[in-house]
Amino acid sequence: MTSPLPERVPHDHQASPPPVVDGEWHRLYPATPFLRGGIVVIAILGYLIVQFRDVFIGLFIGSVAGREPHEDTLTRWLLEHSALAVLIVFGILVVIVGFGWLSWRMHTYRVTDELIEEREGVVWRRHRRGRLDRVQGVDIVRPVFPRLFGAARLEISMAGSDGSIRLSYVSSAHADRLRADILAAASQRRRAEDEEEAREQDAVPGPLHPRDSRGTASRLQGAIVARANEFLAPELREPVEAGSLVTMHPGRLVGATGLRFGAMMLVVLAGAIVAGIYRPGLLFVIVPILIGVYGFAAREVLRSLQYSIASTPDGIRVGYGLLSTTNETLPPGRVHAIELSQPLFWRPFGWWRVRVNRASASIRDGGAAQANTTMLPVGTIEETLRVVGLILPDWSEPSDFTTSPERARWVRWFSWRRNGFAFDDRAVVIRRGRFWRTLTVVPLARVQSVGIEDGPLARALRLARVDVHTVVGVVRAHVGALDAEDAVGMWRDVESRTLGAMT
Amino acid sequence: MSQGAAAGEAWQRVSPRYVWVDLITVLIPGVIVTGGLTIAPAVSRIAWLWLLPAAAFVVVVLLLAFTPRRVRAIGYRLREDDLVFRRGIMWHRVVAVPYGRMQLVDVNRGPIARAFGLAELKFVTAAVTTGVVIPGLPEAEAEALRDRLVALAESRRAAL
Repeated sequence: MTSPLPERVPHDHQASPPPVVDGEWHRLYPATPFLRGGIVVIAILGYLIVQFRDVFIGLFIGSVAGREPHEDTLTRWLLEHSALAVLIVFGILVVIVGFGWLSWRMHTYRVTDELIEEREGVVWRRHRRGRLDRVQGVDIVRPVFPRLFGAARLEISMAGSDGSIRLSYVSSAHADRLRADILAAASQRRRAEDEEEAREQDAVPGPLHPRDSRGTASRLQGAIVARANEFLAPELREPVEAGSLVTMHPGRLVGATGLRFGAMMLVVLAGAIVAGIYRPGLLFVIVPILIGVYGFAAREVLRSLQYSIASTPDGIRVGYGLLSTTNETLPPGRVHAIELSQPLFWRPFGWWRVRVNRASASIRDGGAAQANTTMLPVGTIEETLRVVGLILPDWSEPSDFTTSPERARWVRWFSWRRNGFAFDDRAVVIRRGRFWRTLTVVPLARVQSVGIEDGPLARALRLARVDVHTVVGVVRAHVGALDAEDAVGMWRDVESRTLGAMT
Repeated sequence: MSQGAAAGEAWQRVSPRYVWVDLITVLIPGVIVTGGLTIAPAVSRIAWLWLLPAAAFVVVVLLLAFTPRRVRAIGYRLREDDLVFRRGIMWHRVVAVPYGRMQLVDVNRGPIARAFGLAELKFVTAAVTTGVVIPGLPEAEAEALRDRLVALAESRRAAL
């Protein structure tokens, strides 16, 4: 490591890579088939090496050590046979690689001023296109393995049920520019500005284009260091607005997750100890539960490490994850509902969590799904308001809540004093919960419809429930046990204000 | 409370013929369930098991008895900027959907409803919880209403 900061070493690109949004068809990252089918290839190779270790040793060392293979017919036949097997397996490998290469050749995408298009398939051709103005968000996902190779997956989620376009994989540096360009087009900004920005980003050496004139060794070293830096700090190169950044302390994340699942974790642990003492047989049941609960908590912490949120001109950018990173950008105005929630044990610390509903249909699984809905895993009230402020600038909690009447005590034993709603000029705000507090904010311009309902019990108490319908998601905006008159008033107000916000 | 929300002009009702559709859709599963429940006591000859089909029978009869009222409780109103839909006698539900939020309007015809010349109109917004389905519309009326709503939605189209 002769140069401590290889990033700063001036690289002279022989030619700046062409802009991405040029209407031309582009191919994906060349290592794509390997990364996609990588596990299979490695498994086959590993299997081969293990199986034919003896043969290889015999071939290369055996003769040196004077241990010639026995000259009996069986061994000879086996050797010939294994040679044939090797041939067959290599043949299969060649076919796989060839097919991978062919599918890579055929898998192309392009971004024009209006559309993003993807073509793929060798035998069955598939062609998808999406309009840029329907883009709901662009995520960059970097699973561990492709990340080692400097590749990333770009997920462009579209409005409605037409799902998303996934480009797996593109090179990391390329992904950032592509996202910037797509979002720029999506938020209808002038592209010129953006290419300026993109060029600035390119000034940092893209690890995939180490076309500098230095020697191979230093180039390789530079690439390795660049990759290491990228792996450890993928967000460093992202332009961020310093003021809006929330810094997440790992300790707080661990504490908050522990407090959120604390009760469950303790119960399971106690169960395991008791079972261990009195009925060891039960451990077969308890231990997997223990591993499950603790593993879940650990995953929650792990995937929220290196959390970052920032306001960019293209929208709100949220990054997550230590090993597999997710990095997504929400164009402004795509958030349909916001929920601030505070589990009971977070109250002494004043922590809140922010989750949102967004318009794109989420087709992702597991790890990435959280990032889809969680804007802030845990934060103080100032940080929480700052995050909400990214969505609704200068928002603050209204003070004039209309709460449930005292007779609602029968159905809202503890929370009837808090349970209520309020309006501000942009949103309807619903407050719920005495122990597990939530505050739901639905921008009026995003309300889909509004319902009011009651049942026999509620009617006997002259209570009713109002349901503000938003797009599907983790946030449900409803408030029950309101005075019937208040509920009708709220229902009317939400409707008329929604109509007002639409025009 | 729904009366408060409904104050003003009259609600559009669904076709009275829809009562028959609803009766049949209650009756068929009702008969199957009640009949199925009689098998156990008939075979086992345990007397108290007869309570099960008896209870099912009472529930079915009650459902049938309230069907006309339930159908009469279904109503909708086309206001200037939105559609208001109501249903339910025990559990009221009133939903207002701005025209500009309608993404699709489906006309569905089930086999029983088709026998009576009826169709149902389903409104799809970006929120699945909206759940507004107007059953029991005469087919011609359903299609006319659909066309009118699509035109209204088109003229008031707002960004998602």
